[in-house]
Amino acid sequence: MSKTYRAVLIALACALLAVTVISCGGDDDDSGEDIALSGLQEGATTTGACEGEPVKGGNLVYARQSITENFNSLKIVNGNGDIFANNLIFQGLVRNDPKGSTKIEGAVADSWEVANDGMSYTFHIRPGIKFSNGQPVTAEDVKFSLDRFGNPKINVTLAAVAVGYKSTTIVDDETVRVDLTQPVPAFLYNISIWPGFIVPKNLVEQDEDAFFKDPVGTGPFMVKELVRGSHLTFEPNTNYWEEGKPYLDSLRWDFATDSNSRLLALKDGQAQIADGIPFSQVNSLKNSGEFVVQAAKVPYFVGLWFNHKREPLADVNVRQAMQYALNREEINKSIFRGVGTIPNSVLQQLKYDAPPSEVPPYPFDLAKAKETIAKSKFPDGFSISLKYPAGYDYYKQLGLYLQNAWDQIGIKVKLIEADQSSLTDSFYKGDYDLAFPYAQFTSDLPIPDEYAQFVAEPRSGLNGFFSFWEDPQITKMVREFVSNPDEDERAEQWPEIQKALNEQTPWINVMDLPFITAHAKNVCGTDINALGSDQLENTWMAKAE
Amino acid sequence: MTRYVVNRVALGLVVLVGLAFATFLIIHLVPGDPVRQALGAQASPQQIEEVRDQLGLNDPLPTQFWDYLSNSATGQFGDSFVQSSAVSDLVGDRIAPSALLIAYGLLVALLIGVPLAIVAALKPNSVIDHSARLVATLSFATPLFWLGLVLALVFGLELDIFPVSGYETGIDGILKTLTLPALALGLALTVFVLRILRSSLLEVLQSDYIDAARARGLSEGRIVAKHAMRNAVMPTVTIMAIQVGFLISGAVVLEQVFQIPGVGSLLVESVERRDYEVVQTLVLLAGATVVFVNLAADVLQAAIDPRVRLAGR
Repeated sequence: MSKTYRAVLIALACALLAVTVISCGGDDDDSGEDIALSGLQEGATTTGACEGEPVKGGNLVYARQSITENFNSLKIVNGNGDIFANNLIFQGLVRNDPKGSTKIEGAVADSWEVANDGMSYTFHIRPGIKFSNGQPVTAEDVKFSLDRFGNPKINVTLAAVAVGYKSTTIVDDETVRVDLTQPVPAFLYNISIWPGFIVPKNLVEQDEDAFFKDPVGTGPFMVKELVRGSHLTFEPNTNYWEEGKPYLDSLRWDFATDSNSRLLALKDGQAQIADGIPFSQVNSLKNSGEFVVQAAKVPYFVGLWFNHKREPLADVNVRQAMQYALNREEINKSIFRGVGTIPNSVLQQLKYDAPPSEVPPYPFDLAKAKETIAKSKFPDGFSISLKYPAGYDYYKQLGLYLQNAWDQIGIKVKLIEADQSSLTDSFYKGDYDLAFPYAQFTSDLPIPDEYAQFVAEPRSGLNGFFSFWEDPQITKMVREFVSNPDEDERAEQWPEIQKALNEQTPWINVMDLPFITAHAKNVCGTDINALGSDQLENTWMAKAE
Repeated sequence: MTRYVVNRVALGLVVLVGLAFATFLIIHLVPGDPVRQALGAQASPQQIEEVRDQLGLNDPLPTQFWDYLSNSATGQFGDSFVQSSAVSDLVGDRIAPSALLIAYGLLVALLIGVPLAIVAALKPNSVIDHSARLVATLSFATPLFWLGLVLALVFGLELDIFPVSGYETGIDGILKTLTLPALALGLALTVFVLRILRSSLLEVLQSDYIDAARARGLSEGRIVAKHAMRNAVMPTVTIMAIQVGFLISGAVVLEQVFQIPGVGSLLVESVERRDYEVVQTLVLLAGATVVFVNLAADVLQAAIDPRVRLAGR
């Protein structure tokens, strides 16, 4: 080999290496350095360029992890991709506080009264409120929409929120009364989300398919164009009822399912805001000083489900031992880069949850784990499989971590990676031992009523949300809680249920997680409600400094 | 010649029916029910059964396959249950970006591969020859999504020549948005053009008729362009035709990386949701493309070279 030849080869190798280094450099943060959640922005930006009053104008491009497929609120096919778009187009009679608290406030209705027995609600339609096509919202429209909400043949995917709905009566042009078959203290929350959205009766009756292709609602934005698989463009609803909102001239959602593509679009300035920021990228984005990384507290958790038809998992000592064997501090630091919150509930973070001082989380205590499993019917351990969703680095890491942690108490875990469809299929059929059933496991409501009934109400037909767990005592407590119209009593009842569930540990909440978004510094008012939905009517763009 | 073409077409049809059968079987047998996926955890078993009945999903598999095959043969690809739209509309909306990406990628491979192959063949074992083959082999060995990301990082983010992702129509838009993915696709494919063309050129350049041309005093450029290339290009055409499958699968990956709303990303979404009709149609379409291109390459060969079409006799 001649000298020049060798030199060329070495140069080529170096060039290749250089490319590798550029592409990896600064992007991946593998230091495992702890970032406290407090280090991230928790609410919308109010400092720097965003100080002062919101200004009108600006075209915002948002790189989104989920694709939007359709605008029919009763036919959601692509999870948050559809739901969050619907949230900008339509509204219910009431809505969740756009600022992120668990309070309910008026939307299509500006006020309401609840009967003393909790069996009926009277809503007053907001005076002068119009759909985006300029047509006024009538009591007829409200009745029509709520009857669809209450019809399990139409409201198929989320019939549970319509529990107790009896009928809607038109009292006068601006007033409707909703009657229930039983007190449902969660009712206002139930109608605040997509199945309860108000649509114009005449247009939906005329041609439902055509209507939902070119929808008309009372939300802050209207659909301008949906290019399937590519982007969705919104324009402001000029008839929107909140004075001066929305601020933006236009809004475009670019569908970028690949997290690297989202980050590149953000860094390149093609998009000014991106959601679904991978945990491994939080630090480098924050340290770049160019972006604000925002963590929204939402009911989102890493739920690890136990199949109670498997004998070892039906033993509470086994389940508790598995809890004690987890070092969540370590998991949070090394896998979630410190953005997680150590849970003190087996459900998502919800309203009425007691603080850790009242209901303590399971501590990491290997000695206690060994002691507890020794008391079980399986003191020598057993073998079991864990199914987890493919395509997420953190589930793979978590699987390996759990395999190692439970090995120390004699539980041999076999890891099985599965795509989401196969995974949910085997989950619904009870064909699993341990499973992370959903890659993004969130609650539809910010209150515990929905999931408490999914898991502890046999009448829901969901078999303890496919865990096949039952506990008559907890079922009784849940029934009292979900039918008690007294807010103060509910606030006392829930922590008891939270505590009982935690002790029973029918499954494991490994970690509570926030939704992480990142945006350019001149993007302001990036409010996210308690369900993780972007309140883009509040978003405005500051003039460049 | 006619007999040759008829034989090849018949063979192509058999391949397509086989492909349709395999796709149908695989997508129906993997776990995951489209109705359950669409209706979610809370739908009751009765509701799910009702919808499955409506869609014919409870019919025996042979009946379902026969319906699918006979409908496909007449160009009816049915409706996507998940997306509530006709499959032909869904695919029609998204086929252009993919077709353009594949064509552009092929062009890039030829534009880079052909000149390099000629230089390499004229100066075999030179530094240029070895480095060209080394780089081409490395590009092929690099995972496409990574190659795509590196190109987006360098030419999009650092140098700011192209956008990092997205798709726009019109000549300007296509050049702007498809150049980087096409470059990734083309670079990965260059190795085939380079290696095959180089070795066939080398072989041809050593043959007697080239020596004769040289003896007549023709310039090297003229010898390569007019005499050697004609004979050397045939194996390359064959190999490129075989690589259409690679191009299609490459487009699937690159569409994800560059957010191009093509049929590749539609395929990924549809597989995830078990959208049977869409998956079946897309796989059949991709298969038909591969069969057709190979057929075209074979016919072309036969037309140019009588030895091919007479070989079967």
